[in-house]
Amino acid sequence: MSGMNKVSKLYIEAVLESGIQKAQSSLLFTRKTELNAESGNISLLRTTEDVSLSLTGITEGRKGSISINKTDRNSIENSIAELVEMIDAGQADPANEIAEFQQSEEFSRGSEEPDMDLMYTRLNAFLQRSSSRYPNLLLEQVILDHTARYRFFNNSNGVDFTSMRGAYNLMVMFTSKDGSNTSSFNYAAVSFPDLSEELHTAGGLDRLMQQSTEQTETQMIEGSFVGDVIITPECLGGFVHTLTSYLGDHSLVTQVSIYKDMLGEVIADKRLSLHSRPVADELAGGYFFTSDGFKAGNSTIIDRGVLNTFLLSLYGSLKTGGSRAVNSGGNYMIDPGDTDFSEMVKSVKKGVLLCRFSGGNPSSSGEFSGVAKNSYYIEDGEIKYPVSETMIAGNLKDLLKSVKHISKQTVNDGNSVFPWITFGGVTVSGK
Amino acid sequence: MERNNLLKYANLFSGYTELRLQENRTSRISIVDGTVMGNSSSSNSGVSARSYKGGSWGFASSPETDNEAIEHVIEAATENAVFLDSHLNKGLQQLPASSAEGTWDYSTKKAFVSRKDKIDFAREVDSYISQKFRKLSTRTVVIHNLDMEKQLITSTGSNAYSMVPRSIMYAMLTVDAPDGPVQLYEAIGGLGQFEDVFVKPSDCYRQIDSLYEHLLLKAEGVFPEPGISQCILDADLAGILAHEAIGHTTEADLVRGGSVAADYMDQTVASSLVTLVDFAHTAMGKTCPVPVHIDDEGTPAEDVTIIRDGVLKSYMHNRESAMEFGVTPTGNARGYSFSDEPIIRMRNTAFLPGTSSLQEMIESVDNGYYLVKSSNGQADSTSEFMFGVVLGYEIKNGKLGRALKDTTISGVAFDMLKTVTAISGEMSWNNAGMCGKKQMIPVGMGGPAIKCMVNIGGR
Repeated sequence: MSGMNKVSKLYIEAVLESGIQKAQSSLLFTRKTELNAESGNISLLRTTEDVSLSLTGITEGRKGSISINKTDRNSIENSIAELVEMIDAGQADPANEIAEFQQSEEFSRGSEEPDMDLMYTRLNAFLQRSSSRYPNLLLEQVILDHTARYRFFNNSNGVDFTSMRGAYNLMVMFTSKDGSNTSSFNYAAVSFPDLSEELHTAGGLDRLMQQSTEQTETQMIEGSFVGDVIITPECLGGFVHTLTSYLGDHSLVTQVSIYKDMLGEVIADKRLSLHSRPVADELAGGYFFTSDGFKAGNSTIIDRGVLNTFLLSLYGSLKTGGSRAVNSGGNYMIDPGDTDFSEMVKSVKKGVLLCRFSGGNPSSSGEFSGVAKNSYYIEDGEIKYPVSETMIAGNLKDLLKSVKHISKQTVNDGNSVFPWITFGGVTVSGK
Repeated sequence: MERNNLLKYANLFSGYTELRLQENRTSRISIVDGTVMGNSSSSNSGVSARSYKGGSWGFASSPETDNEAIEHVIEAATENAVFLDSHLNKGLQQLPASSAEGTWDYSTKKAFVSRKDKIDFAREVDSYISQKFRKLSTRTVVIHNLDMEKQLITSTGSNAYSMVPRSIMYAMLTVDAPDGPVQLYEAIGGLGQFEDVFVKPSDCYRQIDSLYEHLLLKAEGVFPEPGISQCILDADLAGILAHEAIGHTTEADLVRGGSVAADYMDQTVASSLVTLVDFAHTAMGKTCPVPVHIDDEGTPAEDVTIIRDGVLKSYMHNRESAMEFGVTPTGNARGYSFSDEPIIRMRNTAFLPGTSSLQEMIESVDNGYYLVKSSNGQADSTSEFMFGVVLGYEIKNGKLGRALKDTTISGVAFDMLKTVTAISGEMSWNNAGMCGKKQMIPVGMGGPAIKCMVNIGGR
């Protein structure tokens, strides 16, 4: 891949030569080696290579973007001609800008090449262990891949970034079956820098598989109540995703965010701190620069309950007058608390251990509701039984302020690090 | 996409092999409060090959489509299959060898509309909204086009070309209410390129007017009473029920993976009023939203009657699952991008219409809900489902009452379908569906209105 940043710079020159005033080029090469297992058996070896070239141009505030997966001269020329047409047809918006000059940098993390034999060995061992340890568990799909991504970002202000990231990624989807009883499916997605550890040790995978085998017989909760919900690290990511959707460009530019006037205000319990750390050493995933061409940094979004930053891009910041975030979000981490998980369970009078949440798209007012999946009923400090047909409802704004406990323990899935959190005041309804 | 005589590469095949050239083209224009914020297009094209040896699959792809690249992906796919076979030694038999040939081109015969004219179209719609509906706090108009063009040959003798486009306009309207902003959106359009789907902006105004009326009612909406209730699911929710809650449990790969439907073949799983079909390309004499004539394994695509008169009758198959289950492949194998291997996917999944009228069904409910639009849906191997509901109304004494705030419904589909007591005679399709199962892919979902008992969430 050496020399590709020079090629990327040539694209900028070619765009400018067409008369476009400001140009941005993002070139991505992806090489993936992927082993698939279906129904517990290795079934497919997939090797793919792809390239993606995104060109953005701005003239008199009018912007266009085009993406192709070719780099030959003819394709580039055709794309630039189409880009000129798009810009001519566009509408001037002063917020259409490109990143200012920054020092050139090269970044690299992880392995460029997969260890194919070790991939096979690890996957095979995982399948065999799962089959012997959890005979009632059906591995619907297991995908182990190694992906290497080479990115080259340039713009006409002289930004010149290059990065290589290589990581292994594991996705496991499973269901347990005992006679005619079937559990809900569950899944885990984990990333790691190398294959030094057995696959089942990644993230919370083994705990989830063990839980699945307990979930072939479920009970319905009688009636409705307002109680505590302990949200697991695997389930917490979805709620964080919902929260951060209120902090991004679209919600703030259109002024529909429930947090639009809350910067610097208390929006959560003071024990809650949420970070976005795309360049954290402890994560296999992440990124070194943003899609609009800024070197990425780590940030604290909620600092001990106070909303510390929005997640505005350059466009969003110019459009709203707010500050541009130091990253594009993602790679979220919540600080651990001081309570042991077992103590958290003991403190619940009546509630649910929420392990997966199948919910509707979050409403613009923060209301959420959905089904508790792979989850357990808790009463008088004890986990009683796995539940079915149980719905959870609440409002995100209220939820963040109703933290009761945060666990000492956390789970790192390679892309995020979350603890268990007990929230109060959640509506739980059964039959 | 440049047409290529792929047959000249057939002599490079070693055992069962598929060779596919594909290009996906997208275009997106978005206008937020009168400002063109999105103005982009993309093209993703390349070649892939998949090879089968003794029960093991090898797949390889390349964005390049010259002679050398095509030969390379065939060789790499074959090597990958050989690598796995040498380790796994499954010793399975050859796959079913059905084949089909044909060309299916749904591209426009009209002159292409320029980018400027597309943007002007979207701006005219936006202008109509802003001038007519003064209470809106924000509005978004998006026009999205996707062209999927494929060429395929297989070692079994299949040879197919298809070009299946989709054009959708999304109108999202927001008003402020005491509890915060309230939103509603409509997806307009379907099969076809922009030139065929969007003739003039005013064709969309009736649906946008209706959307605004619903939005104002929703802004004064109430939470439903949580718990099991008599409900009428309109076509949008019936479609997502067909796809998510039943359809996925009857995809043969998920049946193998533990779906509860594995135990239900030839058993009564629904009211005798219920018939559910995954249509390949034509339903009730009309072309479906996502017509599939030959799948990406070269199998002729056939309709799959999943439930007939309440009895589970069939799963959806690719070649490999059909061999395992001892049935004929149904043509359900599809890949989204050239670099995606074909996996079992639904095509156009719908409940068949019944004989009741929607009005009669509403009048028959003393105390319940009429649920009209969904936002998203998820289902489970148990057939337990959850759908977001973004538009619904109370039914009191046979009449529509107050609108509902956003909520969710849930249930166990194979139990819930046994509570169906009426199905309307009118049917409509959701033309904008995308299904995510390893890869995203366009699907059609449809149905009539269904009267049944559903667990509704609320506070």
